[in-house]
Amino acid sequence: MSAVVESKPSKGGGVSKRPLTPWKAPKQSTVKPRKVNGIGSLNGNWAYLFTAPFFVMFLIFGLAPIIYSTYIAFFNWDPLAMGDQQFNGLENFQNLLTDSRFWIALGNTLDIWAMSTFPQMVISIGLAAILRSKFLKGATFWRTILLVPNITSVIAIAIVFGQLFGRDFGMVNMVLGWFGIPHVDFIEGTTSSHIAIATMITWRWAGYNALIFLASMLAIPDELYESAQLDGASAWQQFIYVTLPQLKNTITFVLIVGTIGGLQVFAEPLTLGGSMDGGSSRQFSTLTLFLYEQAFVNNKWGYAAAVGILITVIVLIVSLINFFITRRLAGEDTK
Amino acid sequence: MVGVGALALGVVQPARAADPVTLTIWTFGDVIEPIMVKDYKALHPEVTLQIKKSDLDPLNGTNMVTACTAGNGPDIAAVEVSYSGYWRSYPRCFTDLRTIKNSAGKSAKDIQGDYLPWRWAQGVGYDDSVIGIPTDVGGLEVAYRTDLFKKAGLPTDRAKVSALWPTWDKFIATGQKYMKSVSKADQKAGVGFMDSAGTIYSAVLNQGTTKYYQNDGTDSGKLVYATNPQVKKAWDTTIKALNAGIGTRISQFTADWNVGMTKGTFAAILAPAWMMDYIKSQAPDTAGKWDIASMPGGGGNQGGTQLTIPASAKNKAAAWDFITWYLAPEQQLKVFKTYGLFPSTPALYKDPALTEYKDPFFNNAPVGQIYSSGILKLKPIFEGKLNRAIDQAFGAGLGRVASKKQTADKAWQQVLTDLKKVTGQ
Amino acid sequence: MTVLKLPTLGAAKRSPKHQRLNKIAYLLLALMAFLSVFPFYWMFVVASNGSDEISKIPPTLIPGPRFLKVVADVYSVVPFNQALINTAIVGIVVAVSQVLFSALAGFAFAKLSFRGRKFMILFVIGTMMLPSQLGIIPLFMLISKAGWFDTLTALIVPALVTAFGVFWMRQIIDAQVPNELLEAASIDGASVPRVYWSVVLPIIRQSAFVLGLFSFLATWNDFLWPGLVLSSPQNFTAQIAVSQLKASYVLDYALNMGGAFMATAPLLLLFIFVGRKLVTGVMDGAVKG
Repeated sequence: MSAVVESKPSKGGGVSKRPLTPWKAPKQSTVKPRKVNGIGSLNGNWAYLFTAPFFVMFLIFGLAPIIYSTYIAFFNWDPLAMGDQQFNGLENFQNLLTDSRFWIALGNTLDIWAMSTFPQMVISIGLAAILRSKFLKGATFWRTILLVPNITSVIAIAIVFGQLFGRDFGMVNMVLGWFGIPHVDFIEGTTSSHIAIATMITWRWAGYNALIFLASMLAIPDELYESAQLDGASAWQQFIYVTLPQLKNTITFVLIVGTIGGLQVFAEPLTLGGSMDGGSSRQFSTLTLFLYEQAFVNNKWGYAAAVGILITVIVLIVSLINFFITRRLAGEDTK
Repeated sequence: MVGVGALALGVVQPARAADPVTLTIWTFGDVIEPIMVKDYKALHPEVTLQIKKSDLDPLNGTNMVTACTAGNGPDIAAVEVSYSGYWRSYPRCFTDLRTIKNSAGKSAKDIQGDYLPWRWAQGVGYDDSVIGIPTDVGGLEVAYRTDLFKKAGLPTDRAKVSALWPTWDKFIATGQKYMKSVSKADQKAGVGFMDSAGTIYSAVLNQGTTKYYQNDGTDSGKLVYATNPQVKKAWDTTIKALNAGIGTRISQFTADWNVGMTKGTFAAILAPAWMMDYIKSQAPDTAGKWDIASMPGGGGNQGGTQLTIPASAKNKAAAWDFITWYLAPEQQLKVFKTYGLFPSTPALYKDPALTEYKDPFFNNAPVGQIYSSGILKLKPIFEGKLNRAIDQAFGAGLGRVASKKQTADKAWQQVLTDLKKVTGQ
Repeated sequence: MTVLKLPTLGAAKRSPKHQRLNKIAYLLLALMAFLSVFPFYWMFVVASNGSDEISKIPPTLIPGPRFLKVVADVYSVVPFNQALINTAIVGIVVAVSQVLFSALAGFAFAKLSFRGRKFMILFVIGTMMLPSQLGIIPLFMLISKAGWFDTLTALIVPALVTAFGVFWMRQIIDAQVPNELLEAASIDGASVPRVYWSVVLPIIRQSAFVLGLFSFLATWNDFLWPGLVLSSPQNFTAQIAVSQLKASYVLDYALNMGGAFMATAPLLLLFIFVGRKLVTGVMDGAVKG
């Protein structure tokens, strides 16, 4: 069995905030056999065949449309125009970078993303940890419930949540009223609208991600827990030192996918606000909503394409930051 | 993308009666009413109507753009009035209905006289080609709660109420008088005179003859929103209403609005004809407590649709046959009787079915007469490509004033700067 | 060590193995279940009570009698059973295809060494960052030119592969398949495809199943793309079919909620059966082959 419990001697930083525990994770060799993650004896040429279906299909149906859209970002583009389109070079990009509406959308998107990604991660892992237990009564039932939020259509849910978050008569405000809290306007306020949207997103995806974590948790061999137990590790320590490191790949995955999805949030702000400007002061205008607005309301398709390209760049940057932070926290180079 | 517009549109011969034909129709909601589908099937058993409904934004936005560029549009497409400004700039995506004749030999030129001029104008391209025929008319009058008016010491008889507000200023003054009778606690809880003061903006705007553009013969039209006095008037009137505090904070078509109707959170709504059914279904317990008075400033409109034949349609003759049948006065009368949608054919306004139509939910108000008199007052207005975007910017500005995020002057300035970005001017 | 902060809940909850779950755990689960199901239940309440009910204060919380009418309305407007079949066909084909191709590619990225591997996996991840709204119209043009407008093919072909799936399978295979096992098999003379088939696939079985499930779900819920490419009612998918209930300008809450409920209920029924499989498959899949 390959080294699965990776650890370093405790660092001087965060971990040692805990008082000295009677059990430390055993030191293991961190030397990996020969090639990092590649098996030397397997013929690597097969890889081209194995990845070909993906790349071919993706090139045709995924990439080609995107390349075309990228092309039009350099034009003042009108798909229904007669005659030639007007080439305007980098003008769309220049205008975009000085367009306050773009920066507002960026700020909103990042805010909503932060609010919906991190709490959700905590909830998902927590749920998965509970659901993993062999002693769980009614496991099928609980695990099925996990996915109910995800199978309902986004639009119907946005309508329901729109009602729940209504300022004068919505249920959330009703409950707040019981505690003497004045009614919150979940549409007009900036932070409050972000909270409403982040709640919708978390509601929808927490169970889904919990299932992903669950699948990975169940693949962690029991032997690891047993040996930790024998070493005197408490349940909490087992979680920290056995479960979480094994989930590293999955955490990275969920974080990256969640970032990509979160930075492209579209349906929730659209249905909550009912229009593409994201509210009277654009308080919940998100990047993809802004893209759509430029194309279908303002009839500026080249500008919209420029927005799309910038969205990709932003997502890339944020994902990379995410990725590096996760790796640093995990403390180990795995690639 | 180019190419589609090159279809030459000669006069299309009517199809022979017996060939089976399937007409694909793209609409939103029940623009093609179910009972009429049955009627047409009885008349023309060889024609099958295949209807697909979508929300306005994919349909009038994405779907129709792709239909125009890829050339696989339906035989008939419904274009909603708020998108008409846009599509009127691209008449080449549609069949010019002046060039096509139905089985009775009629083209758009022959039926034009049947329709309200300003409603007709919403289906005419910038190059004078006719791209769509109007369906119903929204109209706009004031629906008010007689019981709440009485409590506030206002008259309840509709003639007297209409006399209260021949102008918008008097309307706002009436609202202020109403608010005086609302307790401070109620005011704090969000009770108001009318549901949303913001609706005044488009009401006033539609009472003029120009909106944001002037037709200069080009496809985009000439932008005049910044200097058009009608726009400023609509803005100022709405601001006055907002500052007078006569509206609630509720937006139309939200859950709060539905509840507000039942609870009496507001006593007046600027209501198009089709909204009456909505009020009935949302607040059935308020039956008999409503009435209809006339609009300040005389008449208004909200909503409406044109039926178009996209340029790439495969069955143009059969489509035109259907459209001329469906939108003819006799059918519009039946639609009115069954579904309450107001016809766009003025000849019907003298028909007893309309003149004598009274609605018990609205205290037996002669809604046929009231709405038709308002509707007849409106004039055609040219709409341009970015109408929707400009409307949105103004709406957002008023919204900021309403939620007290900006003063009226700052909001106006921001609208102008925002629009410079949108229009590139 | 990770320093992810986690809420300090009862220690018993964090032990997957040796302690019975205490009451807090069940309370949390119950809370999660309630929050997950309540909006869905609310949809049913609205649908079965009619639009005027939702404007009542306090709101009605008990289902009413009118749901069957909504169901009848849906069936009278569109061939709903056909729509369910269409959605199932598309969903299953797409799910199988995505799992197949994702596992293949994921395996290559995780365990085979070849030139350009690093670049290619980053490229795959990078492609996920492109917003879908950007390519939708050109993709439509492409589908149109291929003659697939108004066919289920238009829904299936562009979805046969997914970067998400490739990325996930890579992570899974990397974490769950030990190199030693692969080495051993290969030393025994197995070719790469043989190794893939006999060693890798059995190990990743339940993750692959979960991926298939997610693909199916995504197809089921997809709204914008089918709305764009489908035109004839007999080709509609479930979401498009129930959206045909819409009346005119105004939102008939009851009808819309009823429609959404009907578009979701078959899935729920499916899960009640599949859920069992998920649990058993998952429990014994944890033992390494």
